[in-house]
Amino acid sequence: MPFFDALARWLGMKKKEVNVMVVGLDNSGKTTIINHFKSPETKNHDIVPTVGFNVEKFKSKSLAFTAFDMSGQGRYRNLWEQYYKECDGIIFVIDSSDKLRMVVAKEELNLLLENPELKNRSIPILFYANKMDARDAVSSVKCSHLLELQSLSNKPWFICASNALTGEGLHEGVDWLTDQLKIVLQKKKK
Amino acid sequence: MTENSDKWLDAYHDPVASLYTFTQCLTLSDIQADGDWKLIVADLGTGTYDMKLKVYKNTTLLSEHTIIDLPTGVVTFYMDTLTPRTPAIAVASGPYIYVYKNLRPYFKFTLPPLDIHPVEEDLWNQAKTDQVNILNMRDTLEAMRQEGASLTVRSIKLLQMETNNLQNFVNLHKNTPLKKQTVITCLSTMKKSVPDDDAISCLVLGTENKSIYILDPEAFTVLATVNLPNVPVFISVNGLFDVDYRIVVSCRNGCIYTLKRGSTDVTRNMIELNSQPVGMERVNKNIYVGCMDETLHCFTSKGKKLWTVRLPASITAMEAIDYKPKSFTAVIVALSNQEVHIYKEKYLVDVLKMDDVVTGMRFGRFGREDGTLVMSTKRGGLFVKILKRTAKFEEKDKLAGPPAAQNTKLNLPKKTKLFVDQTQREREQCVAMHRTFQRDLAQLRLKVLREYVKALDSSMNPISSDPMEPLKLSAHVQGIGPTFKFSVKLQNTSLTQSSSNLLITFDYDEHLYDFRKKLIQVPILVPGLTYSFDTFIDCKTDKGLSDNVKVYVLKPGKSIPLITGVVSMPVSESIVLV
Ligand SMILES: Nc1nc2c(ncn2[C@@H]2O[C@H](COP(=O)(O)OP(=O)(O)OP(=O)(O)O)[C@@H](O)[C@H]2O)c(=O)[nH]1
Ligand SMILES: [Mg+2]
Repeated sequence: MPFFDALARWLGMKKKEVNVMVVGLDNSGKTTIINHFKSPETKNHDIVPTVGFNVEKFKSKSLAFTAFDMSGQGRYRNLWEQYYKECDGIIFVIDSSDKLRMVVAKEELNLLLENPELKNRSIPILFYANKMDARDAVSSVKCSHLLELQSLSNKPWFICASNALTGEGLHEGVDWLTDQLKIVLQKKKK
Repeated sequence: MTENSDKWLDAYHDPVASLYTFTQCLTLSDIQADGDWKLIVADLGTGTYDMKLKVYKNTTLLSEHTIIDLPTGVVTFYMDTLTPRTPAIAVASGPYIYVYKNLRPYFKFTLPPLDIHPVEEDLWNQAKTDQVNILNMRDTLEAMRQEGASLTVRSIKLLQMETNNLQNFVNLHKNTPLKKQTVITCLSTMKKSVPDDDAISCLVLGTENKSIYILDPEAFTVLATVNLPNVPVFISVNGLFDVDYRIVVSCRNGCIYTLKRGSTDVTRNMIELNSQPVGMERVNKNIYVGCMDETLHCFTSKGKKLWTVRLPASITAMEAIDYKPKSFTAVIVALSNQEVHIYKEKYLVDVLKMDDVVTGMRFGRFGREDGTLVMSTKRGGLFVKILKRTAKFEEKDKLAGPPAAQNTKLNLPKKTKLFVDQTQREREQCVAMHRTFQRDLAQLRLKVLREYVKALDSSMNPISSDPMEPLKLSAHVQGIGPTFKFSVKLQNTSLTQSSSNLLITFDYDEHLYDFRKKLIQVPILVPGLTYSFDTFIDCKTDKGLSDNVKVYVLKPGKSIPLITGVVSMPVSESIVLV
């Protein structure tokens, strides 16, 4: 019933829907981050490494997110590109305590940015420098430096340090992403 | 970091990690059962002290333990069925194996003592009660050593002493019981009865007294002993102790032996190498051996040689790659020219250029990454590279190895009768043919030398042999006649010395030619520059004759020319009258 949908949206009852992809290396905390945003009744209590991918739904202050929680394991990473086309935004999660694999994260990010589906799109990318609580975690500034984010110029991006276990830093990131996606949606309307 | 391969990511490098270690003393293992694999390094310290067992978690040093003697090998193995499944670390050092569990010292295993030579034992027993003259004792021991008897470390030390220290040394040691021990040269593991990844494993060790021991992981008793013809240095094990196993050992005498469960004949399937082995790896069923003579060989498990490749430098370390996610198997060879070569079968598929000579390498899972290559270097650096997810190793994508065309059969024609006869003749007359050839060769040489001497004597060559006047001459003729242009080029080939006071003149048949300039005065010749002098020649005949013309470069006061050039004149066209 389109009419009621429009009415509800106008009244602010029904939120606009967006698709986001959550990517990053295995064990970086993607599933844990999404779990944090879910409503208490749908929350998962024990989180195991994702196989393939999962589709999860959660809401921010003004948008309804459909999140593709991709598995970060090497053998599933080639699945990521299958969903680039449909997504409106990307959340890239980094384990900021895994210094050894920073280069791998950078390599995967480069592959993502070079993908023809995304290369020329101005799609917003939110980076979580996750596990900021870990003993040898590097700062988000250092993280963006290691991934050479300064040279990423054709897409809006934002990085924030986070702790998915406590939720610290997560909302800051999603608020930024929400604002960005709203701009995108407005442009689309025109 | 100079990097020319695009297949690897540079994950970490610390050129000053101050690690002194080798492939055998490096291992990767999930010792905390948390999926985050650690790097375990037995560090040889300075080579005399400061030996340490170091454990790296990601890029930070997690723990350090002092080791008393030089380590010769490190492995991890499951010694119990407790959960969480944490493997123990075993470090071989001298005659001992130190076992660490949960990063704490747990157990020390000592190799069984060896039998002492009865005469040696007697001597020390007598020394205990001062019944023997120390100098006599030394002489007897020395005689035994020279006869090739193997002595205890204590006796060998005594033989190295100065005479005035002997008494003190004997007094210090005579009351402690005499023991003879061997040292461990190589260490490996073998699953006991099930092939699971976390199954209980036995330790397999090779020793300096030419034996292989297999140890029980729970009781630390010797389950089996095999004697070898020589000292084992590299060991590779597969199979299960309780079912069937195969141990391949390469020994210091350049032979590789295969030991099987229940068989004592180690010389079956023996491989003899041309040179000493410096590394041995087994991938699938093949044995890859690197030798001191800069070669890499591949053998089947039956001992049949499959191929050999020559390497550009000597081998400093070897390691196998068995990368399951891409089912990629290869052998990595580190070379003394600071390169690391990767061979897939006999094809060189990748080359890594390093800043230092790699002395130790492990490929496997480190941290959470499966395709990691950990390298230690000569100057003490630690390097970690990660295989790219998108890396592809194509056979023959590097120039090395035989070209594909070599494997296609050529369509050879049948042997002709002539060919067969010729071969026959060559076979029968080979001595005579060789002699004739040699004689002709000698004569040719003689003739060449004679001509050369003649040329030198008469300065007949266009380059001066006189060190005082180093000159080079070239002359040529231009034109079709009857008037030609004759040009002479002179160059002073010395570096510093100039030539002066020279003349150019010509020798020719006056009936045939007329030179307009018969003598050319040469100005001072500056070193290095080429000067050109010209004259015109008129040909006086129209009968189609031609002759040689000689050019001389003369120096007043010398009876023979400095250099001579000979130019053969072309046949002149006759004058066309219009
Ligand atoms: N200390 C700490 N641990 C975290 C944090 N976030 C996640 N973890 C832990 O990291 C581990 C992996 O988290 P997951 O959410 O499964 O990681 P993932 O990115 O979904 O991994 P894959 O599904 O395999 O791609 C879990 O044990 C989490 O408890 C964090 O901020 N701090
Ligand atoms: Mg997950």
